[in-house]
Amino acid sequence: MTISAESAEPHIRTGQWEDALTFVALHADKSAYAELFNYFAPRLKAFGMKMFGNEQQALEMVQDTMLNVWKKARLFDPSRGCASTWIFTIARNVRFDMLRKKQSRKDDISADDLWADGDYPELEESATDQWETMLLSEKLAPFFDALPVAQRLVMQKVYLEEKSHQEVAEELDIPLGTVKSRIRLALDRLREALDDTRS
Amino acid sequence: MEQYVAGTLSADVALAVATHIDLCPHCQRVCQDIHNDQADVLASMPLEQDDTDDFSALLAEITGQPQLDKPRQKAARELVKVQINGREFAIPRALSRLAEQQGKWLQLGGIATAKLPAGDKMHVSLLYIDKGTEIPNHTHLGLEMTLVLSGTICDENGEYGAGDLLINTPADTHTPHTRADEDCLCLSVLSAPLKFNKGLVRLLNPLQQFFY
Ligand SMILES: [Zn+2]
Ligand SMILES: [Zn+2]
Repeated sequence: MTISAESAEPHIRTGQWEDALTFVALHADKSAYAELFNYFAPRLKAFGMKMFGNEQQALEMVQDTMLNVWKKARLFDPSRGCASTWIFTIARNVRFDMLRKKQSRKDDISADDLWADGDYPELEESATDQWETMLLSEKLAPFFDALPVAQRLVMQKVYLEEKSHQEVAEELDIPLGTVKSRIRLALDRLREALDDTRS
Repeated sequence: MEQYVAGTLSADVALAVATHIDLCPHCQRVCQDIHNDQADVLASMPLEQDDTDDFSALLAEITGQPQLDKPRQKAARELVKVQINGREFAIPRALSRLAEQQGKWLQLGGIATAKLPAGDKMHVSLLYIDKGTEIPNHTHLGLEMTLVLSGTICDENGEYGAGDLLINTPADTHTPHTRADEDCLCLSVLSAPLKFNKGLVRLLNPLQQFFY
């Protein structure tokens, strides 16, 4: 870094920030902290502006980061890296947690998203018979059998006979919407049943 | 890796990367170097002329607060282990806290999964595959990341051992399986469900939140 004569920035020697942090840690030295603060706070703000593109959040990051630097100064271990690396780590974590807090949680998988109207690609690969038996005998068979007849019939045609929803509707002479709603009801039942077996 | 260090990866993806780094000395070094570089960028960031914020109030407020005491030397955290199918697996550091809060194992044949309370966008779980077991052929509706924690997974593209990260996208279809004589534990991160391609196993598609 070049430092011009008229620059207000202090000249930085190697080890300066590490020393400053040590003073802060040992003596709660406010002037050493102020030196660190005056150097890093505006840079953190510029860094925050780049990351958030928003002044308020950038300032929040500066505040949380610098507060942590003050409070946690005693945790700084110069043998493990520079002061700037340590401060960067704190800022990164503060920023990450700020973003996490803002994000809304949870997205749920809906059966509708998955349902490509019965036309699934058929692949050449060996069918996994072992799996089918397991799936049926161990988990689903009892619940499958317990489905109302109308629902079971539709499920059987779609999943065992691999017919499309449209084909099933024509075969049973019922509206397509009814086929879909029966499948949905059947899936809901199977889900509930599986959910109960969990506990 | 840059994004991981900078903290711009999504949390779920970052978790898989962090766990890999725990298992991989090479990436630990790479990571440290990137970290130092990024810190240097921050420390040598030039200031704009108009950065004239007055931080003195903040400075006073901060130094008015008490500092934290140095904690006693932390007792080396006991290694977290998970048990499944009569086996016990040690869990890498990055996963320890989450693995302690794992959900119940759900078992289907030779496969068992336990949800980890990490996902908001993604579905994060431990995935156990018994020896000689195959996961039926499937396509991916989103990103599938599988980090092998122990054992080996094989699929059409190769073999993956502990620390290896498999990444599959919607363009990929595969049938992963374990070796005949070795079971396998993985961390699985899914951005969208799998789509099973064959026969009755397709029932798993709408029901799969119970299995994955
Ligand atoms: Zn690596
Ligand atoms: Zn896959």
